[in-house]
Amino acid sequence: MERNESAKFVLPIVVVLIAIVSIVILGGLASGNPDGFEWSLFDYAEVTEPEGSFEGIWSFLGEGLVVDVITGVVGIVGVLLLGYLLFRLTSRRN
Amino acid sequence: MHVPDGPLPLWVYLLFLVVSLSILGISIRRINRKFDDRMVPYLGVLAAVIFAAQLVNFPLPPTSGHLVGSTLLAVMVGPFAAVVIMAQVLLVQAFYGDGGFLAYGLNLFNMGVFASFFGWFVALVLFKVLKRAVDEKVAVLIATTIASFVSTVASAFVLGLELMTIPGFGLEALIVIVVVHAFIGVGEAVLTFFILLYFIRAKPQLISFLSGSKTAEMAKVAEAPWASPQEVIPVTVVGGST
Repeated sequence: MERNESAKFVLPIVVVLIAIVSIVILGGLASGNPDGFEWSLFDYAEVTEPEGSFEGIWSFLGEGLVVDVITGVVGIVGVLLLGYLLFRLTSRRN
Repeated sequence: MHVPDGPLPLWVYLLFLVVSLSILGISIRRINRKFDDRMVPYLGVLAAVIFAAQLVNFPLPPTSGHLVGSTLLAVMVGPFAAVVIMAQVLLVQAFYGDGGFLAYGLNLFNMGVFASFFGWFVALVLFKVLKRAVDEKVAVLIATTIASFVSTVASAFVLGLELMTIPGFGLEALIVIVVVHAFIGVGEAVLTFFILLYFIRAKPQLISFLSGSKTAEMAKVAEAPWASPQEVIPVTVVGGST
């Protein structure tokens, strides 16, 4: 697996990921229902949801589909770079 | 499945923080120098795939679910690398307010450590059985799909046990969370099937279970034959051996 080959493989995947996430969010296909854990704990068992908890570094942008897409894309790129950095440090030089 | 800070007792959060960070440290040491630097972009993109897949919840009224991806990762790059990738994804998600910082250890244990090792083990057993009957690419696809479902339900059971430290969350709620995740597990299995199918067709060298894999060295868990996807454990039969 050569470096050029890996770039040719990785870049289209990132572009496709961003496109899919954008289409799903902007198309309203993503569910707004609580996930299985939240539903079981807060809705079914009626355990009180914590108040005043940290809402994320992007909470100052407010809510909305466009905000979700932008922050999602930033997250995808951020995770990619974080992964690249950590695995670069632990890889065997060739 | 992302637990926020708050509902559970402090000692549970701290216990899992110590346990998970210790296992993360061991995982980093286990994969260190076990892979070529040409693998780095592929490992980075796997983390991005998991983050993207967890961004969007699929509907399952009155609830919803999202891919966890630990079994998929464990089959592709081994459980230790899967833990490292999940640790990165969950860290960024904590900054996004999806799962708390104090709850980071708990979330890493449920979705990273337990789900990766348990899912890997179930997939390995199924793969070894199926490989005797079908092509290894078909075997890994079926084994991983089933294991991802089993791992999701088992992880929900573990999460339910942890939640029982909260007053008001009893046996009935434990059963409910497991049943809900049985449906979510079907979604996990479907997504796992299609993502793995893509990698089997596009880059089978990235799948540790397959012959000639570039990730086999980093995916090695133990030297014993049972831990290797390619080793067949000899079966002794009456009057001879195979």
